Amino acid sequence: MVDALLSGAPVDAPVSARQVRLRRGLELAASVLSNPTTILGLAIITVLIGMAVLAPVITEPNVPDPYQMPRDWGAVAKPPGTPGYPLGTTNEGGDVLYGMIWGARTSLQLSLTVVGIAALVGGIVGSVAGGVGGRVDEVLMRLVDVFLSIPELIFALAIAAVLGPSFGNIIFALSVVFWVKYARIMRAQIIHIRQNEYIDAARVIGDSRLNIYRRDVLPNAITPLMVQATLDMGHVVLIGATLSFIGLSQAGIAEWGVLVSEGQAGIAAGRWWASTFPGLMVFLWALAFNLVGDGMRDVLDPRTESGR
Amino acid sequence: MHAPATIASVVDLKVHFQSKRGVVHAVDGVNFDIRDGETLGLVGETGCGKSVTGRAFLRLILMPPGIIAGGSITFRPHAVCPACEGAGCPRCGQTGRTPAVCPACGGRGCAACGGTGTETVDLLALSGERIRRIRGDRIAMIFQDPGKALNPSLTIGEQVAEVFLQHRSADLMQAAGVEAGHFLLRRFASQRAGTPERLLLALPPLRGRRDRILRALDVMVAKALADTQIPNPRKLMDRYPHELSGGMRQRVMIAQALACNPDLLIADEPTTALDVTVQARILELIRELQRRRKTSVLYISHDLSLVRRISDRVAVMYAGRIVEIGSTGEIFRDPRHPYTRGLLAAVPSAAIGRGKLAAIRGTVPELVDPSPSCRFAGRCPHETGACRSYDPALAPVARGHSVACFIHHQPLAGERPSFARRSG
Repeated sequence: MVDALLSGAPVDAPVSARQVRLRRGLELAASVLSNPTTILGLAIITVLIGMAVLAPVITEPNVPDPYQMPRDWGAVAKPPGTPGYPLGTTNEGGDVLYGMIWGARTSLQLSLTVVGIAALVGGIVGSVAGGVGGRVDEVLMRLVDVFLSIPELIFALAIAAVLGPSFGNIIFALSVVFWVKYARIMRAQIIHIRQNEYIDAARVIGDSRLNIYRRDVLPNAITPLMVQATLDMGHVVLIGATLSFIGLSQAGIAEWGVLVSEGQAGIAAGRWWASTFPGLMVFLWALAFNLVGDGMRDVLDPRTESGR
Repeated sequence: MHAPATIASVVDLKVHFQSKRGVVHAVDGVNFDIRDGETLGLVGETGCGKSVTGRAFLRLILMPPGIIAGGSITFRPHAVCPACEGAGCPRCGQTGRTPAVCPACGGRGCAACGGTGTETVDLLALSGERIRRIRGDRIAMIFQDPGKALNPSLTIGEQVAEVFLQHRSADLMQAAGVEAGHFLLRRFASQRAGTPERLLLALPPLRGRRDRILRALDVMVAKALADTQIPNPRKLMDRYPHELSGGMRQRVMIAQALACNPDLLIADEPTTALDVTVQARILELIRELQRRRKTSVLYISHDLSLVRRISDRVAVMYAGRIVEIGSTGEIFRDPRHPYTRGLLAAVPSAAIGRGKLAAIRGTVPELVDPSPSCRFAGRCPHETGACRSYDPALAPVARGHSVACFIHHQPLAGERPSFARRSG
């Protein structure tokens, strides 16, 4: 009888679940995109990431290390519009435009690495705390409390300062600071989702714990984490630039915070460009991710539920 | 081999909950049997422990704070009828199921199975792995709110498919015509394949066979959905729960619950969240499926009129105890316990005049560290001295009708309150 039904089954049946998922994804994307500020944010992000990806094409990479600012000691503190230096140079003869473009690359690296590590570690810690509960939960969450009780900038600063000035250390320091938020969000989500009757329903049909976590808990718990990750993409660059500005990056690296710091001495003398352009980049980066993050929250957060 | 009359027996079940104010005796010495093929209605007001009792069958009680303080739930699982392989034959009474043979004695009768020769398990003592194999396969459950009991991020088809993947992977592979011994395919058909394995299965040498499994699975799911009178099941399978009406969702839940042809269905207020008109249709559906498959049903509800319509027997629960149990006809014609009488009198009907709603005076007692006394004492119009110091046990008053009340039988001389519980 099963065979008879089988022959009559549409051939594309196995694909349909994926198609449905795709349709749902497109629906969600459409409702995210219905917000004009989100589109603006996405447009800025596209330009910035485009800059980061195409940096070697737009500018001639510096040899041997393209992440080091090229120095032209013959053209120190040139104003914007100088031939060869459309946005001027710094006091040390660094090309501001080069720094802005390669700075996008550094920022992308920084934010993706930090957010990736933080979301993964925080997600795992939060899942364990919320899933196992009891004493394990208690211990992990007190640890999180300790981390949260120190202001993030000062904490990151302390770690980076102890490890010594280097861009890698900034990445490490920020990862240490940022994972706690994810752990908190994840734990709260897991506990909330676990109270849903469909978790009981899954247990009732004989699902294993791992399967329930993978199919019932995680997909329903993940959206606030995604929103947080998007917001943090901007936040991380902001704090990273601050640390670089203070001088915790290695000197001479093509990074926006470093450029702002190089240029700030000249502001009083009227050489505004070396600080302003990279500063603008940090602003745009943080703004764009915040706009998109907020737009995503509006659509995905059940508390502001409208379309679902 | 004759089928035992009972499919499950609850003996002196006690489920307590740790709370800040003390130990809450939510279920405190409950005894009842579920007969093979019958619908037993479990009625009582909110907080009387009826849901906890139902959930104890599948060990769905959150521990901590829950504690199984004592008792047992013995269950006699069935197996596919060897004569007809599940198709239904005279030997198995068209159910496709026969009682499973006791693995300890091979059907000769031993201590483990109480001499019946059929497999007998204590649901409260089973290992996690074994209870998982019973859940959804031999005992299924449907919940109050179908809107909450379906995962919002999976399609209907995917959710119903899970039951088959968990319990029927061998049948599935056979239906798909793939070799049963293949390691990866077997893991896929039992939902154990991880992401790397899935990737491997999406590639050419295995892809065709994987798709055959998926198509066979779709056929099984569609059949299960069609069984609950869902029109156009194939279309519904690609929908998400939020796209469905409440009645349709509950049909999906029922389809999922009955997919593996279970021996026992625990229905925890399955129609409470639904409109009255939809309610009647869902009730009819459960009744019809139950009759056709001869599945035993434990129907938990606070709604007396509903239970009257669906049940063969009724157990009335009050404050963690069964106070009265008997056939539906007996209970509604001749209620013996003052609480049952009060409940029946409280049901409004068109015959009662406006402004004359009856209520039971007082409120449900606190179940924190209760003293040995009748739980209904204090609200009971017939209260005597014994009610305050002794615990009435469930004792027969008529054929198949037992009541726990001193109106009908005096406390035995020297009866110690804590031992005053006997099987009904």
